[in-house]
Amino acid sequence: MKRTLQVLNELERDGVVERYAIGGAMGATFYVEPLLTFDLDVFVILPKDAGNLLSLAPLYEALRSRGYTEEGECVLIAGVPVQFLPAYNALLEEALREARETPYEEVSARVVRAEHLIAICLQTSRDKDRERVRILREQAELDMSYLAGVLQRHGLEGKWKPWTP
Amino acid sequence: MDALRPEIARLFTAKQARRHKLAGLPFHEKVRAVVCLQEMVAPVLRARGRRVRVWKLDDRT
Repeated sequence: MKRTLQVLNELERDGVVERYAIGGAMGATFYVEPLLTFDLDVFVILPKDAGNLLSLAPLYEALRSRGYTEEGECVLIAGVPVQFLPAYNALLEEALREARETPYEEVSARVVRAEHLIAICLQTSRDKDRERVRILREQAELDMSYLAGVLQRHGLEGKWKPWTP
Repeated sequence: MDALRPEIARLFTAKQARRHKLAGLPFHEKVRAVVCLQEMVAPVLRARGRRVRVWKLDDRT
């Protein structure tokens, strides 16, 4: 895992990605009890190519050149299947911009804020997202006024209310 | 809904307290716990035909 995080930092340092942050179940695990997952979800802002297109191909190529191979929709980096998800809307761009640095042993990793994880769950709205929101509400130390701002900016207040009995 | 018997309520309270305690662990210890969960669940999922990979931790072989 430590090596996986080092590789993510190297990709950012080398400009292969503009910025990365861990989301999904591992992102949530930073704030709550350990949650079972088999993939490390990593949100990325990709540099635009000359044609102004976003493509994961240069990222995959850079990983291949480091000896890491694709496995289904993931890339296996030092024993951890990593799924890269390009920031595809304003909420994810903001989540990446405001993600926090956190130490993992002697390596630094960037993790999406708990408030953004909740907003992303609301936007995605699968059954497991509802459960994740419940756990984050119960266990994470949330900044409720910050969360209210995120929900308001991204038009998610209407979804939040029915999810908070 | 019927009220829980006190001993069951106590068990639930203890369970919740344990989950809060786990939530407060350092990130690297939580990752270790996730890998333990993966090790427990992987055989069940594989028996159902799902391909899963237990993560490698740097200090474990």
